[in-house]
Amino acid sequence: MLSALVRYNVTLTLLAVAIALPIACAGAFARLSRIRWIALTMRVYVNTLRSMPLVMVMFWVYMIAPMISGRSLSAYWSALIALTCFEVAYFTEIVRSGVQSISSNQFAAAVATGLSRFQAARYVVIPQALQRMLPALLTQSLIAFQDSTISSIIGVPEMLQETTIINAREQAPVHYYVLLALTFLVTCYGTSLVVRYVESRMRLGVHARKS
Amino acid sequence: MIDWSILWQAPNGRTLLEALLLTFQIAAISWGLSLISGIGIGLLREAPIAALRVVGTVYVEIFRNIPLLVQLFFVYFIFPRILPGFAKQALFDYGWEVAASIITLSLYSSAKIAELVRSGFNTIGAGLRMAAASSGLTWWQSQRHIFLNLLLRTITPGLASEFVTIFKGSSLAMAVGVAETTYVTRQLGTETFQWLPVNVYASAVYLFCAWAIAGVMLLVEKRVAVPGRIGG
Repeated sequence: MLSALVRYNVTLTLLAVAIALPIACAGAFARLSRIRWIALTMRVYVNTLRSMPLVMVMFWVYMIAPMISGRSLSAYWSALIALTCFEVAYFTEIVRSGVQSISSNQFAAAVATGLSRFQAARYVVIPQALQRMLPALLTQSLIAFQDSTISSIIGVPEMLQETTIINAREQAPVHYYVLLALTFLVTCYGTSLVVRYVESRMRLGVHARKS
Repeated sequence: MIDWSILWQAPNGRTLLEALLLTFQIAAISWGLSLISGIGIGLLREAPIAALRVVGTVYVEIFRNIPLLVQLFFVYFIFPRILPGFAKQALFDYGWEVAASIITLSLYSSAKIAELVRSGFNTIGAGLRMAAASSGLTWWQSQRHIFLNLLLRTITPGLASEFVTIFKGSSLAMAVGVAETTYVTRQLGTETFQWLPVNVYASAVYLFCAWAIAGVMLLVEKRVAVPGRIGG
């Protein structure tokens, strides 16, 4: 059971988060773009994905992938692509609000010193914004970890699926489901404590710099 | 060939409609239940007795940190085992999967609403709290007459997006065999291989609900907004 957690749930989450984050950074700037149709496209993408259940997104990937590539995609890859697309939408919103929380004067000042718009974003706005949105990004990654269990519905042999299979054989639901729930409780609660610590440290950091 | 008519052909149209109704029922009942229990637990976390605050915190952390689907399986499989044999049989005969989904969604969302309530309390501010206390109101009176009203108005947007979350979450009920929209469209897809129409239909249901709620909320928010607050 635990090996299924590491092999499927953890890798799904880490890969999805790692792929989604850079895309979401680009996405946030697309959403704030001055070119109307780019901003609109991104907005439609974000709002659509955020209004859909993750299972539906997985079904879509499962269905569309064979149409594009001509052969069917494994459950794991479908789940990974779906989770990534899904998290891109959520991360984009977090990054966007982080970027918007940085005063636009800073951007103007950076451009005035001769940086290009891209450089100003890359060297001035993003580093500060990233720091501010770190807690929200971590919390969303935890939600992605919890959501990775949904991949069991399309047949990824992750921990929930594994538990159901073992339980069908052993017929001891109390043992196995309690173990399953406890595993998530401990990992997610533990990580959320780390997030809270990071958050408090950051608040201290900001405070120290101000005084 | 893509055949859209399978969505309204003889038995399918009716099945889909019933499934849609069930989706709405599950979401609405769960939302109502989690609203009541969420506010209750949120109040617990602000209670003047430390033990009550601990109970509230433990509740929130448990239900927030276990995936919804795991909770669903947990409730679905473990809860009937506490009951004696005949009651268990009755449970499964009378649609336990629907009840289990509603219970799970309510537990999960009430933890999130409790958090919402707590952050609502924080925005209301210590000044008002002290003013209420110094005017001689007891803790309960000040909650009942001053904070609950303000609180509900402050957290209205959060409650609306929680409804959308529950609506989306109800799709997971398919995992225990509830014949709601996602489950029924899946079934229709495997019978007819018309995956495009069924996927479009199911997605449209969820998108439409999210948009409808966003629209209604815009109206409601304007009416209930607390004057003088940003966005109010």
